[in-house]
Amino acid sequence: MRALAAATLCALVVAASAAAEQTQQVVLPGPVPYPTDSPPLVGQGTLANAYMAPGLHIASAQLVRVGVDASGRPARVSVRQRLVVRGKGDYQVAVSGPVASVRPAPGTESEPGFRTDQVLWAGFSPGRKILAADVGLRLEPAAHYLPLRLRLRPEGDGVSLTVANATVAPVLSYEGVVRAAEMARLLDATRRSSLAGQRVKAAFATFYGPVRNPTRPVRIEAPLLVEGTLQLPGGQPVRFSRILGDGQPLTFTVHASGSGKPVVHLTARPAPVIDLLRPPGAPTWSQAVRRRHLGPAALLSRLLGARQRLVRADQYQSYLADPDSDGRSRAVYEYRTVATAAPRSVPAPAGGGSGSHALLIALVALGSVAVVGGGLVVWAHS
Amino acid sequence: MRRVILLFVCLALLAAGCGKSSSASDGKVVVAVDVPVTGSPYVAENIRHGVALAANNLNSGGGIIVGTKTYRLVPRLYDNHLSARQAVENTRSALDAGAVAIVTDGTGVDATWQIANRDHVPIGITYDGGTGLVDPVKRPNVFRIAPTNHGIAFRYAEYLIPKGLKIGLLHDDSAYGQEGAAELDRAFSENPHSVALRMTLPAGATDLSAQILRARRTGATALLVWAQPSTIAAVLTAARSIGWKVPVYTSPTGSDPFVRQQLADHPDWVDGLTFAGGRLTAEVGTGPFQSFQSQYQNAYGADKVGVKTSAGKPVIQPPELAMYAYDFTHVLVAALTRAGSLDAKKVLAAMNEVSTQGANGDERGFNRNNHDGVVDDDVYFARFHDMTYAPVKDDPLSSTLPVIPQTP
Repeated sequence: MRALAAATLCALVVAASAAAEQTQQVVLPGPVPYPTDSPPLVGQGTLANAYMAPGLHIASAQLVRVGVDASGRPARVSVRQRLVVRGKGDYQVAVSGPVASVRPAPGTESEPGFRTDQVLWAGFSPGRKILAADVGLRLEPAAHYLPLRLRLRPEGDGVSLTVANATVAPVLSYEGVVRAAEMARLLDATRRSSLAGQRVKAAFATFYGPVRNPTRPVRIEAPLLVEGTLQLPGGQPVRFSRILGDGQPLTFTVHASGSGKPVVHLTARPAPVIDLLRPPGAPTWSQAVRRRHLGPAALLSRLLGARQRLVRADQYQSYLADPDSDGRSRAVYEYRTVATAAPRSVPAPAGGGSGSHALLIALVALGSVAVVGGGLVVWAHS
Repeated sequence: MRRVILLFVCLALLAAGCGKSSSASDGKVVVAVDVPVTGSPYVAENIRHGVALAANNLNSGGGIIVGTKTYRLVPRLYDNHLSARQAVENTRSALDAGAVAIVTDGTGVDATWQIANRDHVPIGITYDGGTGLVDPVKRPNVFRIAPTNHGIAFRYAEYLIPKGLKIGLLHDDSAYGQEGAAELDRAFSENPHSVALRMTLPAGATDLSAQILRARRTGATALLVWAQPSTIAAVLTAARSIGWKVPVYTSPTGSDPFVRQQLADHPDWVDGLTFAGGRLTAEVGTGPFQSFQSQYQNAYGADKVGVKTSAGKPVIQPPELAMYAYDFTHVLVAALTRAGSLDAKKVLAAMNEVSTQGANGDERGFNRNNHDGVVDDDVYFARFHDMTYAPVKDDPLSSTLPVIPQTP
């Protein structure tokens, strides 16, 4: 019996040693990289040299204004970006994107510069400085990275508006043997930063044995808080407020009765992950795993999914980049129906413009060649 | 003979078809320098030297590469005599000479920009900070690297109003003084309680005793003078000779050597004089500017002010204006390189898209919204002591700036 006990102990020690050898620290998602390259938007060309004095920090707040047509498709996109520079010193920074126009916005303490696909800021911060610009964007490249898709269509006795979360992206995930207690601790930490509205902090998880990637990529979204109204002329506005994502459906539809041109006004904000990080039957995940069995694999999956959603939500806080990569960035997306003109063919250049100059130059060149050619022929025969 | 005549006819027609001739055909790119050699020689010399120094540096490095060809940069000097009419004549001559750009103190730009704009030729102002000279929409070919009057006036308001002073806003009746007065009026318009009086002084007058006495009686506790150097010297003389130790603040002309030369017998009258100017150093420190200053002095000698410190050391003027002309030339070359051709339209468009490192280590460049290469934030304040000046310590920007040595 003693011999059996000794043998069993030896086997456990060997197994533990083998397991210990295979332990590895795996970096969890967040705060970066983001699942896709954009947002933030990126323009063409090379950015001007950037410089920020040591100790300077820049926070970005932006209102992304999306004008949608009668079908809900984006018709124009612009951004009011407000940068708050804190600290004393020089700065020269650029914000990239498919920029079509740049104008100073109310409250700015400096004039924004404009080069091909970039907004420029340069100056000196005496301690705090506001830099605000209204940035018009080229529709196609900008609309592609908006977080919502809207669809307006006549239906029944009125009109229906379908709002869909467009931030869904495939991400790489992990599977393997983990400990429930550690997962619970990491879930609690992630939940705390999510509820506080902070960026997810870098973290590691311990895996025992091999780490596998699922063959099918996981699809995650940035949870969005969508609030607004749908209204038809003369009717009462239909109000709505939904979370799209975080375990809730990614689309919703509202209906307004009546006739005429529908008016949509809604805002969307990247939202924290709340539902997916709510511990079952206890105030914290650590207490929950002590009270009852929660599978470590399910906890790992939940942790990774929640962190990836928080990373995606953080990505949509910067539709236009914050020039300070460590700066705090916030974005609100405002959708509103706007009158749109029917597409027209591009008119020919007016007389006397560059087109006629080009024609004149071509005629002169052709004439010159003809005269020279003729002259050479005459010369050769003279 | 007929063959020869026909050949000449053909060649003439070909040349006509090719448009305006350019000096670039012989491997040279001409930059016109239109400055008041006989009206304001100090300004003219500085600008001319700034362009020439940039050209020499670039040429000695193998020239400038535009597309697949290499060119030498050749400055060509024109004297505008501080006359708009002469500036127009000079602009026409420069365009006929195939100049790719015109560097100027600012004289006559209101008249010359349209002439140059017909040929899409950029004009670079490196002295006059007048409002309205530069407008990216209305005057797409006019650029400036020099502190703007607007920036200086608003920086003064930002600097002086919190001090609780009762300021006498004085200006002379020169065009420079009147333009400055207009900007000061705008800058102080929201704080009228800070202004004790506004007064116009006769430019060139040597005795301003009556005017200064009147200013004193209004209860002014500071004077802000926007005027020619001679007027500033006369204000200081009038105030100090009656024992009025009122702080005097001035436009950038306060740093003109003429003021110190005029008051060389009373160096204590210059002490405390504060002027506004464009910062000479960037956050990276004094290194880049001192390197530029050293090159400048090796090429043209030091600009001696003509006065000495109490220790008997001769005072040297830092080459600020030359720096702006030098920087504009480098931005122009960056635009030529980016355009990849001497096509004036392309070069003008490229002027909005390039930056270079300026002589003081700062980035210099323009963009579609702004053709002023010195931003308002770069205006600093410096105060004289013992005939040399140092950045003031009670302004956030100025307090971060180092002192530029002004004695050998």
